[in-house]
Amino acid sequence: MKYTIEHISQGENEVILRCHSPSAEMEQLIRFLESQDRKLIGNKDGIRRILEPPQILYVESVEGKTFAYTESEVFQMEYSLAQLEQLLGAVNFFRCSKSMILNIDKVRELRSLASNRIEATMCSGERIMISRTYASDFRKRLKGAR
Amino acid sequence: MKKREEGVKERAKMSLLERYLAVEIGIEFKACLYFFCILFFYSMYRLLCGSMEASILHMGEMIFLTYGMGYLQKYILANFDEADRWGLREIGFLLLCVGIYTAASYLGGWFDRRGFVTVLYALFMTLAYICGFLVYKVKRTLDAKQLNEDLRAFQGRDGSRTPKDRIPQAGREK
Repeated sequence: MKYTIEHISQGENEVILRCHSPSAEMEQLIRFLESQDRKLIGNKDGIRRILEPPQILYVESVEGKTFAYTESEVFQMEYSLAQLEQLLGAVNFFRCSKSMILNIDKVRELRSLASNRIEATMCSGERIMISRTYASDFRKRLKGAR
Repeated sequence: MKKREEGVKERAKMSLLERYLAVEIGIEFKACLYFFCILFFYSMYRLLCGSMEASILHMGEMIFLTYGMGYLQKYILANFDEADRWGLREIGFLLLCVGIYTAASYLGGWFDRRGFVTVLYALFMTLAYICGFLVYKVKRTLDAKQLNEDLRAFQGRDGSRTPKDRIPQAGREK
């Protein structure tokens, strides 16, 4: 697939995809673009706030409730983990355990642990364990970018 | 609906089986490594004693022992030889395992119950564990390096964290 970038001095940034029929690559690109535009609703201290996916470091499900963590705040989400996994798209967000989805773009560093587990240090300094079950898929996701 | 539930159960069973196999293969791999270490020491001892023969019974004892120790290390001793760092707990486990290997060698008469050789064997097994620990550590360090390279490539590729020197040029085609 070839691409062309055209710098403009006026007007809104726009992405135009031209194809005979959407390929798997294009579908992935479309999902990524949709996830960037998507906004989510979270609750904090009784106040509903709009969250943009790039703000989210990771999402965790605890006792049936779903929480989204940004660098400085925690929001209770109105969606289940499975719904968020669908909404956040298949590109930058990764299901790293039964109860957690992490934003790969917000990972600062990875460390390999015993028993094929991976520890992800987020940009906030928090450490998240990617369990053995999900570690090999995580590696494939990273390799997919190369 | 019933077929769907059966499908989910089937996938759960396969996952359990896969998990069991992954653990089992890991234990057997380690058992083979330590078995070959012991076999090397045993072979050298036999050669130095002027013999070109080894006891099949002794080798059988060795492989069963390493297999059993693999289970012990995995389920009770927290795989201490794969730990990130060694503290008092790991050193305690090391001494326990070396003690078991040494006792088994003495009781099995692998080295004709010679005290000096048995002590040398204990030191050899300690070294084998230390080497195992270092090998796993180096493996993880190299793996982490690769993971972080892949992570940078992933974060840079989709443009969400494009480094300054990768600003795309107008009219560029791929």
